[in-house]
Amino acid sequence: MRAIEVENLSRAFNGLRAVDDISFAVDAGEIFGFLGHNGAGKTTTIRMLSGQLLPSSGGGRVAGCDIVAEQQRLKPLIGVVSEHQNLYERMSGRENLEFAARLYGIDLQRIDAALKQVDLLDRAQDKVQNYSNGMKQRLLIARSILHGPRIIFLDEPTRGLDPIVGREIRRLIVDMSKQGVTIFLTTHYMDEADQLCDRVAFLSEGRIVALDTPDNLKTAHGQHQVNVTLDNGECVSIALDGADAGKELQQLLSNGQVRTLHSAEATLEDVFVQLAGRRLSE
Amino acid sequence: MNLNVVSAITRKDVVDAIRHRYLLTALVTPLFVALLFRVLLPGVNDNKLLTIVVHDAGSSGLVTELRKTPQISVVSADSADATGREVKRIRAIGGLVVPAGFDADLAANKQPELTLYVNNQKTIFEQAAFRRLLDQLVRSFAKQPEPARLVWVDIDKAASDRGLGGTTLNQMLLPLLLILTFGMTGAFVVPLLIVEEKEKRTLDFLLSSPASLSEIIAGKALTGVVYTVLIAGLLLGINRHSIQNWPLTSLTILVGLLFVVGVGLVIGSVLKNTMQVNTWAGLVLILLLAPSFPLVGIIGWFEKAMRIIPTYYLSEALKMSIAGTISSQLWVYLAVLLVCTVIVFFAAVWALHRRN
Repeated sequence: MRAIEVENLSRAFNGLRAVDDISFAVDAGEIFGFLGHNGAGKTTTIRMLSGQLLPSSGGGRVAGCDIVAEQQRLKPLIGVVSEHQNLYERMSGRENLEFAARLYGIDLQRIDAALKQVDLLDRAQDKVQNYSNGMKQRLLIARSILHGPRIIFLDEPTRGLDPIVGREIRRLIVDMSKQGVTIFLTTHYMDEADQLCDRVAFLSEGRIVALDTPDNLKTAHGQHQVNVTLDNGECVSIALDGADAGKELQQLLSNGQVRTLHSAEATLEDVFVQLAGRRLSE
Repeated sequence: MNLNVVSAITRKDVVDAIRHRYLLTALVTPLFVALLFRVLLPGVNDNKLLTIVVHDAGSSGLVTELRKTPQISVVSADSADATGREVKRIRAIGGLVVPAGFDADLAANKQPELTLYVNNQKTIFEQAAFRRLLDQLVRSFAKQPEPARLVWVDIDKAASDRGLGGTTLNQMLLPLLLILTFGMTGAFVVPLLIVEEKEKRTLDFLLSSPASLSEIIAGKALTGVVYTVLIAGLLLGINRHSIQNWPLTSLTILVGLLFVVGVGLVIGSVLKNTMQVNTWAGLVLILLLAPSFPLVGIIGWFEKAMRIIPTYYLSEALKMSIAGTISSQLWVYLAVLLVCTVIVFFAAVWALHRRN
């Protein structure tokens, strides 16, 4: 079953196409990575798919709702974690969730469960302005899952967080996925996408330039060879497609000359650079 | 429109505004100014302009006449000695000791003595009014002719036509305070409520929630209404003795409230951040307040210039409704204000949809 279906979606601002004729589909329960450099159109896409922005042309369905005609029916079925920590800072964590619960018309008793899931129950009464970045990010996730959405849009959820907190957020994402929630994730971190996503789409200048599983992308765009460093410092590359590759490798290993041995498989970052023409951080 | 969503937004904003330093300042300023007036001009809020303590040893007709005088409150003292003390205790404008046999002595042209106490804690205007009143009353009671026939001519006939001739100082100040409250709502409170959501990106959260743009705006407008009604209610409560027509005053306040909330929505949708609000709000506030300055009605060209600002009609309507003057002019003012309100709301809706 498809959680998200997008066809020829475009959005222009003052004549400039931020999102340019993209089409893709995301299966229910899938973790889908949407990768691209700054200004590639990731956030604009999320805003259109979450009913915050109307497309200039094209359309799509999210959780079975038309993103143009059924925005209000769509909103209770999705959760959004913005790239900005858009919380009410003068309010406590619990008050933020109480407000969200009232907007969604859900039982306030669900707040404790959401706070517990993100491990913020003991700090719920503290004002958000006193929270660390990691705590704010966890509270954002709690707010996005409070009403039990079928799809969650996560826009750069680990940006600017230290590695330990980043790992904690990734654990929460996996937990949500295990509960059957479809995750639409944008990130700058290729390792993160590689680790979490069932499939990824590369976005460059508003267009999708590649869409597949991370493994398929790496295989398709990487080199099929191993790089061997010998004890004398010499580096030898052995193409795995070659007929004698096994013999060559076995010979080096049996001679006891091998210091290190690495596969030359491409990383997602390499694939992105190859397809988009520049690094994500640029 | 989902009223639960609107009330959730209003509830959040009402609580959050108290924690917002700027908003809190904007909200309490009119109350602070009202209290300041009470301290600086004691007695300004009394409906009875002058309270006079009287010791009447012989049931004089003079005291009977005094009691009949409009806007005079007479308080009896037990003895001549107690009169001065009572004046001070109840903060009356002054006191009067009328000896026994005063009326008979007056009839016999014996020039009986009247002892008058004047409270120097009162303003010089009040003291002058007290002295003049007693002078006129005694002459009238003694049936003494005026030394000359005084012919009074009204300079501002328009004010007289509007029925403002008998307006007390407080009835002039109260509209100013109410418009200050409205001005704070229109220039600061509602714009800040909207702009902060944009600035902190919480508007993105609201727009991704089941709240529609119109519900978000309704929630913000309702917050402005709640706080303005609260502050205006407190101001009316403090000055309750000055209000001669409550239904009319309430109606005028309601129309004015809708207008300024509309102004706030326009400003909030046009401006992008708190700094811009702080920069422009002062100017907007001055424009909204200007027509209620006491210069209106005194300087002709100023009054004419103020007629282009809608709060001129609000200010005049407030003065008339507070003074209890029901005239066709009042309905014209309210109609003009209503038209302005409709225009402002259309502008707000246009600006907000343009933003979306």
